[in-house]
Amino acid sequence: MRRLQALSPGLNWQLIVPVVGGAVLAVGLAFVLCFAVAATGGDGATVAFGLPALVTVPAGLLAVLSARRLRAMPLRARDGFLAVTLAWLAAAVVGTAPLLLAGTFDRPVDAFFESMSGITTTGASLLDRVEAEPDAILLWRSLSQWLGGVGIVVLVVAIAPATGLAGQRVFYAEMSGFARERLTPRIAETAKIIWAIYLGLTTLCVVGFALAGMGVFDALNHGLTTIATGGFSTRTASLAAFDSVPVELVAIAGMAASGVNFAFYWRALRGRDSLWPQLAEIRAYLLILAGSIAVVTVSLLVSSETVGGWQALRDSAFTVTSIVTTTGFTTADFDEWDDFARMLMVLLMFVGACAGSTAGGMKVIRVLLLFKTAAQEVQRQLQPKAVQVLRVRGRVYSEDVRRGVLGFFYIYVVVFLVATLVMAALGLDVVTATSSAVASLNIIGPGLGEVGATENYGAIPDAGLWFLSFLMLAGRLEVFTVLVLLTPAFWRRTIA
Amino acid sequence: MRVLVIGAGEVGRHISRTLSSDRHDVTLVDQDPERVEALQGDLDALVMAGNGASPKFLRDIGAAEADLLCAVTQSDEANVIAALAGHQLGARRTVARVRDDDYFGPDEAFARDVLGIDFIIHPERATAYDLAESILLPGAVHVEKFADGRVVIAETIVTNRSPLVGRPLGERRIVRPSFIFGLLRDGRAIAAEPYHQPKVGDHVLVAAAKEDIGPVVAHLAGRAQKARDVVVFGGGRVGLPLARRLERAPDVRATIMERDAARARFIAERLTHTTVLHEEGVGKDALLQYGVDRAGAFVACAGDDRANLLAAMYAKQLGAELCLAVVSREEFTPLVDALEIDAAFSPRLVTAEAILRAVRGENVHSMYLLLGGAEVLEVEADPGCEADGWTVEQAAQRAHTRIAAILRGGKVLMPDAGERIRAGDRMLLFNTHRGVADVQSTFKAA
Repeated sequence: MRRLQALSPGLNWQLIVPVVGGAVLAVGLAFVLCFAVAATGGDGATVAFGLPALVTVPAGLLAVLSARRLRAMPLRARDGFLAVTLAWLAAAVVGTAPLLLAGTFDRPVDAFFESMSGITTTGASLLDRVEAEPDAILLWRSLSQWLGGVGIVVLVVAIAPATGLAGQRVFYAEMSGFARERLTPRIAETAKIIWAIYLGLTTLCVVGFALAGMGVFDALNHGLTTIATGGFSTRTASLAAFDSVPVELVAIAGMAASGVNFAFYWRALRGRDSLWPQLAEIRAYLLILAGSIAVVTVSLLVSSETVGGWQALRDSAFTVTSIVTTTGFTTADFDEWDDFARMLMVLLMFVGACAGSTAGGMKVIRVLLLFKTAAQEVQRQLQPKAVQVLRVRGRVYSEDVRRGVLGFFYIYVVVFLVATLVMAALGLDVVTATSSAVASLNIIGPGLGEVGATENYGAIPDAGLWFLSFLMLAGRLEVFTVLVLLTPAFWRRTIA
Repeated sequence: MRVLVIGAGEVGRHISRTLSSDRHDVTLVDQDPERVEALQGDLDALVMAGNGASPKFLRDIGAAEADLLCAVTQSDEANVIAALAGHQLGARRTVARVRDDDYFGPDEAFARDVLGIDFIIHPERATAYDLAESILLPGAVHVEKFADGRVVIAETIVTNRSPLVGRPLGERRIVRPSFIFGLLRDGRAIAAEPYHQPKVGDHVLVAAAKEDIGPVVAHLAGRAQKARDVVVFGGGRVGLPLARRLERAPDVRATIMERDAARARFIAERLTHTTVLHEEGVGKDALLQYGVDRAGAFVACAGDDRANLLAAMYAKQLGAELCLAVVSREEFTPLVDALEIDAAFSPRLVTAEAILRAVRGENVHSMYLLLGGAEVLEVEADPGCEADGWTVEQAAQRAHTRIAAILRGGKVLMPDAGERIRAGDRMLLFNTHRGVADVQSTFKAA
């Protein structure tokens, strides 16, 4: 570490190394779990998990403990951005090891894409036949999503007390601006609460799936990926393979619950704070869900003569919830729907769920604030001197927030447009290029066309896989954290 | 009675003067030696330089023996500390002026029960509430509630549409039970007599029960439409609570103009359906731009008296229906009539009202000071007091006052001369001079 510090004195490696190490350690512990499953199941993946576990657990532990021995250095925002991005990258890279060792993939690019899709909870897959894989590999895919769900760095902050102040920096770099809500005076406590809620929801969901008739192993895997709003399944056909209304109901409830700000649950449980601030966003989120389900149901009924009312409602409710929460489970192939419903799905992908949840997308609160700003801008033409306040249900947002939301929206759209261009340049048709970019940036998984609900990402060329992996990471970290690393100013020595 | 007044600003001087002429022993304290020097010969009171928030200084000047300590400096914190220290030292009652709502809400028991401060006065907020009452009662320029809101007195302007013009008060047609007890003419308050003939421009003071006051005032003023569009000039300590109050009234739309950009944002964040404009000009053009000519009411309540008077004058000239101005400094009050502004409101008088109420004892419940130098008091007749069983006329003569209304057993009576006073009656008294010595001796048990 001393050598690293000497090499780039502008960066605080004492912060970066333990955080990255923590992420590696978390992945290593997941390997140990998978190793246990492989060993008891005896399906040949023991070495594929045992070997990486032997390397990652000690290495991660060493890196985490190294934080204590070094003197404090000034903590800067840039160190937080770099630490978080590197932690996620490291988790994705380390996560490729079992996939390659077990022979799931031969080529590193495929393994990296699958691993990144897992850890970012995107759920896009390159596997043709999921059922053919050993149980341990399936469990690792689910666990990778679960680790990434609420944030791998939040986990590091929660379990590694030594990070202290540094924890705050990385916590803020990973969480979106609207979710940066301290629940307790100490950041490590806040991280623990978030993980406790996450664990609780996951347990409920696993039990729910088991009661709905899934086997224990399937229930565990789907519970992990539902609450992470990830979308990996143990079946090629995703949840359609179960064709069970109770299973779909549990999945809908689990996905919808994970789309809510986790801080809300904490406040509701504690029962002594005002719930209003979050209720505005949650209300809008539930309205979007209910409204979209109704509209899609009608659209399906009108456009198709064969689909009955019950089936239309069932398909619509499941798919809309899966898309809005950016999970990506599928029962019906929405690529076969009418153009209105398909277009609506793409728009909903952008909206996403609440800030501070496990979902991706732009987040409902930002969309709300964008609409308010647009309406006020129209109003301003009439009354140029009127002072306009950005307010949602009594909560006032500062002008800085307004600027931030506008900037975020602009960057988001630009990233999306550039991504579409890049994918088109790689030879993909318009629908596939657009929807693969949308589905990756918003960490959903299935898109339209060649990456549709019943397809996988096998049709994407190598360069496209690398690029989409980058897009997933950028989308998971809400764009800014990754984009600042690409600016020249970040690497200049003089900036504070 | 020994009174300690801390802070020799507008309010401190005003109450010192009033209490001193009520023959109380007043000590006035201020931190500014020059101000103290200037006041030395001006007041029949002990004026001292010193820090009134210092417990040591308070002890030295005898706070322990004070019957009343009034903390009315510019600083909320100093006032609260002075009142706290005074209470601890043994002052019998303490009053503090607090302007910032962050400290105490309107009806918070915390100040009294925990801190031991008997009265917290919010002059600006109280002024704002008075302004709101005037706007919401069509025809009135001033409204004051008594007896827990059951009796209301209103000040209304006689216009040429008013049925009062050119006819003796004794012959007026009475639409609902009400009593005209006073007139304000040429800046002077006079007790109304049956032979008085109101002129255009006079203000009349009328008392009526809560449910009757609306129709009575509308009838007297000769118009009845309620102000719908209200333009508030100045979003300061008065403007903000005023706008908040107006937001709670149905179908009133308020526009508030504020010069300071940061303040404009601050109030916009605290108001939901009031339009807040960041406007620096006071000129006619700026006022016209926002429809002041069509406004039902215009309220000038910026921090500066001169700007307020100017803006209210412009608004009147442009045709705003009701023009009200907040005027803090006494020397500007003559301008209110000269500029044809409908009414002026003074946070200074509001504070003085509250403090005098504290001084004058338990049987003066509330009071209203008029700019012209008169006052309305609410007094309860004690059992065994001198006036028990007297007629209204006898009692009024003895106390050198006029009885405007009687509240008996929850009912409001408009007194005629033969009505007899009973113990437990609560009465509204109109004094054209200030001073309560005669009132005390008449209605208070010996």
